[in-house]
Amino acid sequence: MSDAVIQIAGLHKAYDQRDVLRGIDLSVTEGQLLGLIGPNGAGKSTLLRCLVGMVQRSGGELSVFGHDPAKHSLAIRRRACYLPGETGIYHQMTGAGFLKFALGFYPKQSLDLKQRLLEQFDLPLHKRVRSYSAGMKQKLALIASLVPDVDLYLLDEPDRALDASVRFYLRDVLRTLKDAGKTIVLSSHHLSEVETLADRLEFLLSGRFVSEQRLSRARGQLRKRPRIRLRAGCELPPGAHLLRREPDDMLVVETTDDPLKWLRSLPEGDVVSAEIGIDRLEDLYQLLLSDQATSAASSSTSESSGDSP
Amino acid sequence: MIAAKTWREIRYMALAYLVILELLAIPVILWWPDIYDDLQKSALFRNIKVEMFQRIFSGVTDKDENAAYFNWVAVMLFFRSTNLVGIAAAVLLGTGLFARERENHTLEFLLARPVSRTSLLWQKSWPTALVVTLPIFLVSASAIYWSSQIEFGLPAWELFLASVHASVFVLFFLAATTWLSVIVRVQAHVAAIIGAFAVVQIGIYLTQRIRQFSLFHLADFEWYGPILAGNTPAWQMFDPINSHGFTTYLLAGTVLLYFLSWRAIQRTEP
Repeated sequence: MSDAVIQIAGLHKAYDQRDVLRGIDLSVTEGQLLGLIGPNGAGKSTLLRCLVGMVQRSGGELSVFGHDPAKHSLAIRRRACYLPGETGIYHQMTGAGFLKFALGFYPKQSLDLKQRLLEQFDLPLHKRVRSYSAGMKQKLALIASLVPDVDLYLLDEPDRALDASVRFYLRDVLRTLKDAGKTIVLSSHHLSEVETLADRLEFLLSGRFVSEQRLSRARGQLRKRPRIRLRAGCELPPGAHLLRREPDDMLVVETTDDPLKWLRSLPEGDVVSAEIGIDRLEDLYQLLLSDQATSAASSSTSESSGDSP
Repeated sequence: MIAAKTWREIRYMALAYLVILELLAIPVILWWPDIYDDLQKSALFRNIKVEMFQRIFSGVTDKDENAAYFNWVAVMLFFRSTNLVGIAAAVLLGTGLFARERENHTLEFLLARPVSRTSLLWQKSWPTALVVTLPIFLVSASAIYWSSQIEFGLPAWELFLASVHASVFVLFFLAATTWLSVIVRVQAHVAAIIGAFAVVQIGIYLTQRIRQFSLFHLADFEWYGPILAGNTPAWQMFDPINSHGFTTYLLAGTVLLYFLSWRAIQRTEP
């Protein structure tokens, strides 16, 4: 594809013989916003690090702006800005000093965006970074990563440690960058927020992308799992079985029929609150992992039966 | 930019290092006339059985007071101060160059900037190298002034040559520390390894029969003394074929270690 900013085929990365990425295929075109979703240790950060040549791949093909990150990492980093997942900021510097240092590497900057972010985030820039909270450090790191006027932004959990209002603001900023034709790849734990923003979503699990079919099947399954809180003393009505009870007394159940229909059929007053149709990432991880374990077990069973004479 | 940041991080340590070197130099120079008299009379040092101390004692009690003074400066200014304090400064400054960045997660930040890893290493190394060597020259220059106060002359060129050798010796340790700082992930481990290495080297140096295998043999008072006395011309310091050429050995070791650091930084992952 001619306008592909990122082109990946069979990317493989192992640390000490532990596979972190196992055959990733991906193509991101110019101006696209790709959301990477996955549990901790799924390989999201490693994938982003591979893209800027910070870590070397163990196998597969990879190109960013037509360059191989293993050989021409500098050429890529001149056109891309990467926000690391671990906020690495010099604690002895003042906020202003850090921004001057971090932005000084880039000849072109979006001064308008810088002004907007500084006003919105309202950071005490004259103070040393060591006195900042985790959220303030993340805001500082965001300014340092979003203000450089580059073509590609690789953001590893940019919403980490941010409260909801700042996350919403960040979403607006990312949308502005996307509208300006910038390519963005971001990883996040907030599925619903990334979903509203991203052109495409890739779900990374144990170093592999989950296929769209598998993901939509899992999400369909999740939609049959409403979370309800019943009035004290009420028994779980028929038509659903209990999957688990959460610490806040929420019951996660699985209905045999349409969950909405089931909820409507419940006696009035028994249900204190109910959630339906909300994809909770933890539930999705759990479902996909159990799905993966089941398919692994079945494939090993079929392999062993195939081996038998 | 990285060089400026490195300078900002090490400037106070650099100042402390310079002050320590100067404070160590002033009394040993100003009190030399009294020390020389005391040493002539002292039976204590004469009876020390350690061969190395006997040689130091014999050098600094030479009948020719000028020669004795050169030996004294070689022992106290170079063998003691610049060697030991210089190594301490090189280790303190060098351990943090990369290992601390990795511990603080700032190495990932630096590696993500549009700057080559070669440049990153260079911009961190040269200010540090300057900081550990420049004070050696400054203190040597001040030694000329302090010596004049006790009416002794120290030859500027010879002092410069001795300072060059002392600087290369300290740079060798800085290069070794930098290399370890790239390949070892924890700053404390880097300090422990290079500290243990230095202690072993000193131990070897203090053992009579194996002294020549110690790095300190390449920069001891018997090397600095003849340089200061004008008996080791510059070419002998650098010529390993027709002379000892110890400076060249240390320089080659430093370049090799810098190359190893360069190779390691190309492959390092945060």
